[in-house]
Amino acid sequence: MAKWRDNLKKWLWRKTELPADAFLDLPRITMIGQLHIYIENHKGVLRFSKNELRLSLKHGQQLQVKGEDFVIKTILPEEILLEGKIANVQYIDSI
Amino acid sequence: MLKNRLFHSLRGYVKAEIKGKYTELFLNRCTEKNIPIWSVKRVDDETISCFFYTKDIKSIRKLMRRTGCRMYFKGRYGFPFFLKKVDARKGFVLGLLFCLFIIFLCSNIIWSIQIKGASPEVEHKVRQALHNVGVKKGAFIFFLPSEQEIQQTVTEQLENVTWMGVKRLGTQYSFDVVEKKIPKEKPALNPRNLVAKKKAVIHKVFVEQGQAKVKEKDYVQKGQILVSGYIGKDENTKVVPAKGKIFGEVWYISEASVPLKTIVVTNTGKAESKHIIQLGKLKIPVWGFNKKGFKEMEIINDEKPIYFLKWKLPIAYIKQTMLEIDNVTRSYTKKEAVKTAIELTKKDLLRKLSEDAEIKGNKILQQKYENGKVNVMIHYQVIEEISKEQPIIQGD
Repeated sequence: MAKWRDNLKKWLWRKTELPADAFLDLPRITMIGQLHIYIENHKGVLRFSKNELRLSLKHGQQLQVKGEDFVIKTILPEEILLEGKIANVQYIDSI
Repeated sequence: MLKNRLFHSLRGYVKAEIKGKYTELFLNRCTEKNIPIWSVKRVDDETISCFFYTKDIKSIRKLMRRTGCRMYFKGRYGFPFFLKKVDARKGFVLGLLFCLFIIFLCSNIIWSIQIKGASPEVEHKVRQALHNVGVKKGAFIFFLPSEQEIQQTVTEQLENVTWMGVKRLGTQYSFDVVEKKIPKEKPALNPRNLVAKKKAVIHKVFVEQGQAKVKEKDYVQKGQILVSGYIGKDENTKVVPAKGKIFGEVWYISEASVPLKTIVVTNTGKAESKHIIQLGKLKIPVWGFNKKGFKEMEIINDEKPIYFLKWKLPIAYIKQTMLEIDNVTRSYTKKEAVKTAIELTKKDLLRKLSEDAEIKGNKILQQKYENGKVNVMIHYQVIEEISKEQPIIQGD
């Protein structure tokens, strides 16, 4: 059932050309240099330390941000602003 | 961000360390409950530090129990906490405010009055006159008339003061007084001649002492001897100070131009006033809001600044007076214009001449109309005293 709905959404999105993040519940990531990273549509913090932030996304996917001196500037449901020196951003698929 | 910070400080916030195995879980619970937290940092494996509002402490405590974390407060910030501190040091703060108030009061009081350039007698009189106006030690500067007004009223009151400069330096008033010098008429002791000041035709000769060298209707040049100080003949010659009055007819030429049409601004006598308190650039009307003024008006702002020590505070009291004015076009015919030109030049001339001078007659030399103006050249015959003293320097 869930899969069928997802497929329908994908099909609608292709036809209508609506913004993908809102329509398909995908994360929207904005980076300002290495200084800030702003992630919308996350589903909660899995791990947070000085050098790593791991967020859970939809369908068990995870987003891993690595770097130095991380500080969560603001955290709201579905939104997070991270400050520090960002080295890399990586998707980790569910096993 | 800045706006954010201001908001934080207004509401009061705390810094806390959260200790527990599942600190991330705590973060997620907070966001789920819509509790704002910010500046989250990892301290060590089991601890994070973060900030949140004071009002959320209760709900965060509840979360603590559920997530198995412990909370340690590290700091309190913001206005409410500041108020608490102030409350604890009430006396100190009151004292400080009181002290500021006293300084403020003292900055707006006259501390010294200096009068320069006056003899002790005149200085005393000036001091009295100032006292009457309200300028005295310990008076509030705020309630005093403006420097110009002080200058005017005091100079008018004092007879032997020609001019008085008023200056205010902070809490000190200094007055520069110029005394009237009443010249004493010196007895004419030194031998002298009377000579002509300017070229003229002699009108009348009055000699008190000396020998007249000219008679009526004589034409004299500038510097010519009118009354000689030498009297007597040959060996009986004596030198005396010549004394007398010689009136001569002198010619003056004046030029004037009078526009045929002039716009004259007059006050109709209607006036309204507003009272305004000025804070920086913001002007707050205090009294007379609905006074809209007039269609055409002259605005006079009487500003009273307030001082703190030597600094002018950005607060001032302004009394705004609006006077209704009327523009009247005054038009002359050419004849009238010439007449006014004559009157004008006559007045002007009389002002320049000495008191015993008299205008005998006038003649219009030239009359021109140009660009709506009448240019007139007028010739005046003036009877005036023309003698000047010239000492006789006697050789051995």
